[in-house]
Amino acid sequence: MKTLQMMTRRSGVSLARAWRKAKAVDWFQRITFLGLLLLAVFMALPIIFIFNHAFKPINELFLYPPRFIVQEPTLENFRDLFLKTQSLVIPFTRYLFNSLLTTSLTMIGVIGVSSMAAYAFSKHVFPGSKFFFALTIFALMFAPEAVAIPRYLVIANIGIMNTYFAHIIPLIAAPTSVFLMKQFVDQIPNELMEAARIDGAKEWLIFFRIVMPVCTPAIATVAILTFQGAWSQTETSNLYIQVESMKTLPYYVMTLTNGLANNVVGQGIAAAVGLIMFVPNLIIFLVSQRRVLATMAHSGIK
Amino acid sequence: MGSVSFQHVKKQYATERRYSVDDFHLQVEDGEFLVLVGPSGCGKSTLLRMLAGLEDISEGEIYIGDRMVNYVSSKDRNIAMVFQNYALYPHMSVFENIAFGLRLRKLPKHELQERVTRAAKVLEIEALLDKLPKHMSGGQRQRVALGRAIVREPEVFLMDEPLSNLDAKLRVQMREEITKLHRKLQTTMIYVTHDQIEAMTMGTRIVVMRSGIIQQVGTPKEIYQSPKNMFVAGFIGTPPMNFIHGTIQHTSDGVFFDTRRYRLLIPAKKAKVLIDQRYHDKRIVLGVRAEKIACKDSVDWSLTQSQFDSTVDMLEFMGSDTYLHLNNTDHSLIVRVDPLRLGFQEGDTVTVGFDMNNVHFFDPGTEELLC
Ligand SMILES: Nc1ncnc2c1ncn2[C@@H]1O[C@H](COP(=O)(O)OP(=O)(O)OP(=O)(O)O)[C@@H](O)[C@H]1O
Ligand SMILES: [Mg+2]
Repeated sequence: MKTLQMMTRRSGVSLARAWRKAKAVDWFQRITFLGLLLLAVFMALPIIFIFNHAFKPINELFLYPPRFIVQEPTLENFRDLFLKTQSLVIPFTRYLFNSLLTTSLTMIGVIGVSSMAAYAFSKHVFPGSKFFFALTIFALMFAPEAVAIPRYLVIANIGIMNTYFAHIIPLIAAPTSVFLMKQFVDQIPNELMEAARIDGAKEWLIFFRIVMPVCTPAIATVAILTFQGAWSQTETSNLYIQVESMKTLPYYVMTLTNGLANNVVGQGIAAAVGLIMFVPNLIIFLVSQRRVLATMAHSGIK
Repeated sequence: MGSVSFQHVKKQYATERRYSVDDFHLQVEDGEFLVLVGPSGCGKSTLLRMLAGLEDISEGEIYIGDRMVNYVSSKDRNIAMVFQNYALYPHMSVFENIAFGLRLRKLPKHELQERVTRAAKVLEIEALLDKLPKHMSGGQRQRVALGRAIVREPEVFLMDEPLSNLDAKLRVQMREEITKLHRKLQTTMIYVTHDQIEAMTMGTRIVVMRSGIIQQVGTPKEIYQSPKNMFVAGFIGTPPMNFIHGTIQHTSDGVFFDTRRYRLLIPAKKAKVLIDQRYHDKRIVLGVRAEKIACKDSVDWSLTQSQFDSTVDMLEFMGSDTYLHLNNTDHSLIVRVDPLRLGFQEGDTVTVGFDMNNVHFFDPGTEELLC
């Protein structure tokens, strides 16, 4: 009884405190908060739609006007996706495998190349360092369309057409990532590296044991950006791959939604694939968002 | 063998016109606590960084022990360095920060454990070993940085303004602890600071630098009592030495230092030096420390030989001392007085005299000490 009383009193106190806190927030903040909340809900709608759509039976998929929320959820679309496509020349799982493999290799490649380049540009002076960095910045300004033909020629001439390299190598040159990483490495005080040098670390050790760990927020950001770019792009499958079995999942999705526009079963499969395309994005974001939000200020350097 | 020898060391950065360190020539004995002091930009850090192997040496040679180290990499010089901003590895625990250097040297696990624990004990940071740098205060971080240095058991410790990021009280405490640490380890330390109080209290020997050039080398006492030039005299000591411009007058009554307002009799020994060097009727600078000026009726009044009147401009109460700022129309003087005699008011006229055996004369052109 006594504890109950105490509890109610305490919760009363904290409630009162929360109320007072809420009252301390001014009108401008309240309105901004409300506005942002509405915006967040609005932005979340497509996500809700994707999730629901994948589980809709055929009659609901073609419902007009369309509904956000599924009424009678079913796994039929996924069954179609896994079973019916197995009988086709290239099973769906092959596209999925291609995508997973090339996307992860691209991520590893971009992170490796960008962070090493950033470290070199930021903390070392070598002949032409300024020139090469300027070149990297310059590369930021090219529209992808402008480089399509020369890039095609390069890929064709180094002989990696119809290989996984054609999916990976064009994406590894990532000036945005280099720039982003360099901005971050710039903030690492030189003393940190000098201390490691005196402690006996050689250059590659300094890079892996000091620079990379300190840069995790930047690396996480680069990872997300690279993943999103690589996972959903269809250019490499379109341009550099003629062999169907080497193409990637987004390409398959595209053929589904384009070619099978009038195919009733195709719509269900497309909805299921749409969800499968989306889920890794969500996972990557959830895993790395805390790292991304951490900034230099929190890392204890300054 | 932790002796260090600088042989006419020079440093010129590619972007600079002048030498940042110019003809630095000095022998540092094993076990010494050498303090490099000087104003900002005088080349202290540059010198230390050359010794650490973080900066190329433009000319000259540096020896650690008997070994010429100009072309030896930092990690093989057997030195440890403490940086102003601590430079702790932010993603490693205190233990890992201290152990990092040992791990790279492939020390056996039990020995590593033991050495880190011992270092942590010396610095009283055993309780912090699991913490990350970001969860510690400035003083604690500084201790960890020291731990990282001592665990390596180097021949020479290098410290570049390690206390300047700490607040005043902590600085005094850490000053004491570093001194104790030096006494305990008996390892050569080279300590850079721009704070002359740190230099005076910590160093067994002080090097005063200006614009890359050594001004004076000596024990704290030597530097304080017989500064070689006006720069050293003005830089070392709080409050700074009073400088008074005047001329030397040789009359039948003796040799006098003459300003337009007063004349001070110069004791025979100093007078002889000045006259021998033909300073009669020439401009000269007299330097006198605040505690070598006495007010009439004070205990050390008997030491003074010449006296004059002056007005009190300002009183500065410092606790154990009070500084009187006196106004003599063309120059001001700072005088240290006993705070028990707080009879003074701003605007009062006081009679003061100099302890003329303990004043210094400088040439106004070269700023060098004459006697
Ligand atoms: N990396 C550099 N490139 C070019 N010039 C430099 C460099 N580092 C220092 N200098 C110059 O060398 C001189 C000495 O600098 P240094 O850092 O040694 O001074 P300091 O005595 O340590 O000063 P502080 O007390 O401010 O740390 C300065 O004039 C500075 O401009
Ligand atoms: Mg410095």
